Amino acid sequence: MAAREWNPLDYDVEEGEEEEETPSPSALSSPLPYFDRDRHVAFLEMMYNLMPYHYQSQEINRLTLAFFTISGLHLLQALDRVDKERVADWVLSFQAHPRSKAELNNGQFYGFHGSRTSQLPPDENGVSAHNFGHLASTYCALAILKNVGFNLSTIDKESILISMRNLQQPDGSFMPVHIGAETDLRFVYCAAAICFMLEDWRGMDREKAKEYILNCQSYDGGFGLTPGLESHGGGTYCAVASLRLMGYIEDDLLSKNASSSVVNVPLLLDWCMQRQAADGGFQGRANKPSDTCYAFWIGAVLRILGGYKFIDKVALHRFLLTCQSEFGGFSKYPGTLPDIYHSYYGYTAFSLLEEPGLNPLCAELGMTDLAALGII
Amino acid sequence: MDSDEGDREPLSRRAEWSDVIPLPQDDGPNPVVPIAYKEDFRETMDYFRAIYQADERSPRALCLTREAILANPGNYTVWHFRRLVLQALNADLYEELDFLQQIANSNAKNYQLWHHRRWVIERLGADARAKELELNKEILSRDTKNYHAWSHRRWVLQALGGWEDELDYCHCLLEQDVFNNSAWNQRYFVITRSPFLGGLKAMRESEVRYTVKAILAQPINESPWRYLRGLYKDDIEALVNDPQVFSVCLKVMNTKSNYIFALIMLLDLLCNDFQPSQEFRDAVDALWTSDTHPLDSDLAKAICYILEHVDSLRAGYWMWRKSKLPQAA
Repeated sequence: MAAREWNPLDYDVEEGEEEEETPSPSALSSPLPYFDRDRHVAFLEMMYNLMPYHYQSQEINRLTLAFFTISGLHLLQALDRVDKERVADWVLSFQAHPRSKAELNNGQFYGFHGSRTSQLPPDENGVSAHNFGHLASTYCALAILKNVGFNLSTIDKESILISMRNLQQPDGSFMPVHIGAETDLRFVYCAAAICFMLEDWRGMDREKAKEYILNCQSYDGGFGLTPGLESHGGGTYCAVASLRLMGYIEDDLLSKNASSSVVNVPLLLDWCMQRQAADGGFQGRANKPSDTCYAFWIGAVLRILGGYKFIDKVALHRFLLTCQSEFGGFSKYPGTLPDIYHSYYGYTAFSLLEEPGLNPLCAELGMTDLAALGII
Repeated sequence: MDSDEGDREPLSRRAEWSDVIPLPQDDGPNPVVPIAYKEDFRETMDYFRAIYQADERSPRALCLTREAILANPGNYTVWHFRRLVLQALNADLYEELDFLQQIANSNAKNYQLWHHRRWVIERLGADARAKELELNKEILSRDTKNYHAWSHRRWVLQALGGWEDELDYCHCLLEQDVFNNSAWNQRYFVITRSPFLGGLKAMRESEVRYTVKAILAQPINESPWRYLRGLYKDDIEALVNDPQVFSVCLKVMNTKSNYIFALIMLLDLLCNDFQPSQEFRDAVDALWTSDTHPLDSDLAKAICYILEHVDSLRAGYWMWRKSKLPQAA
């Protein structure tokens, strides 16, 4: 399993050519010419039961690891491997609950913790001083609950939504935790996805968020993670998926001859199309190597816009198979070790390619259509 | 990053920690995706939790957060608590910068580290600016496309200044690697935001000349073509009318090699009412050697058709672009 340090949410920008991850032709046995579903199911089952110690540095994002595993199994039509009730109970135990309605405006976010590591037991007065959630963990929590068919109307969504507004910044962006952290498009996306899943937009000021997103569109048509930053596959996905979820762009824009749009669509489309490299894979930024996960980040943008049909699917399929691991799962580059993040986005990429045996994908939520629609 | 188990003395055997009862993580019944923690990791985090719960903001707590960070650099609660301890101890933040620089190599792409770095610089203010920009260059020298490093660099420039040498720095990076898209992006940032330059419009002519040179050196490089287009953001008419722009398209097409982006730029110009002279028609015709499939009389359509063949990865896209072109009058 991958030994390097990573944070699942960092992955979309972590593209450097670190030594241990450089693809080495000598390490490549000839790739399997087909998507090995059974091996991937076994890989995910293993993760579901026990993750190797290499993932200990990711423990703060345990819910994210769980999301990749469970949603991954769902994509592979293997959700029967999961004890749905047990998972739902486990996820719900991460929710931070306010002691009273008054606490909802104390600045803290009453969403979900990402893991037990910081969910400390309450003191003798029943007070939990470190009782606050994280936006990305909350997105993952709700996404997992949807995957196991849990009825979200039964949770305390009021607390989540009202306290979530505390995380939105004056420029429209979102901070993931109230104690202070970087603000960028990833968390705008998490906020939009949370509101969408809870079917309630009280959690954010959509107009402000839209303004922030538009400020992130670069001179070349893609979106950076913050205004003015280099356009990037992950940033572009967060931007476009958020706009779609919030209702600012319609589905399949390109087929509808929509002449005006809040974003410069022709430039965006052209930028996305140029991201498919000669080796068939997708790169996250111009002049960078192809990486498995961008087959999802960029592929999903194209799907949302109605332009997925333009890509060279055969070439992409071929590239992705070179990243398929003999251990199950997918790696970032051909010939390197697999990890749960690239495995998940490998599965979503194969779903976009309509690989037989995989469930269809809801591009803007990054999980199966079935889960998104609540049909389990 | 695991500490070397051989070197590390367990906290339970260290005298200075003998009064602390470690607080284990309560995984609860039926945990999903349990992690097979190594013993030293588990122990470090158990002691951290104890200190965090007790809110002990002491020198030993500071040391412990360091150990916890090295084991678990993504844990934002550890970083947050470290900040609380630094403040409580009124610690020397220049020493903190040293610590960050020491661990920068193995954590160059860690969001929490960069956020913490920004927090430190915010407190040190303008005095720290020059050194910070230099240290940032060191990190970029190891990976000239490190997204976090660029993001931080931009923040320092905007918050504390130091713009004077930035355009030169971009030029240096581009001399090393003209394909470096991050450096092109930074260049755009500098010309539009630097208080020492006149803004995009004022810089446009000289930047177009710079970009054209880069294009002619490596016409297959996507970055300068995008940059060129970007120089005319919100001013397409000026793009279409700039002789430097349509000339570079012609020049590159006439070399008959690496001309894909030149064709794409010409297509965009045509879609924005560029009126091509016969030279352009001739240059495009010269790129197509088949007699069995003659080119369309409409230049834009002809270009799309060529692109379907020479940029075949995107054949579907070029076919669609062709179908969207206005029918010839």
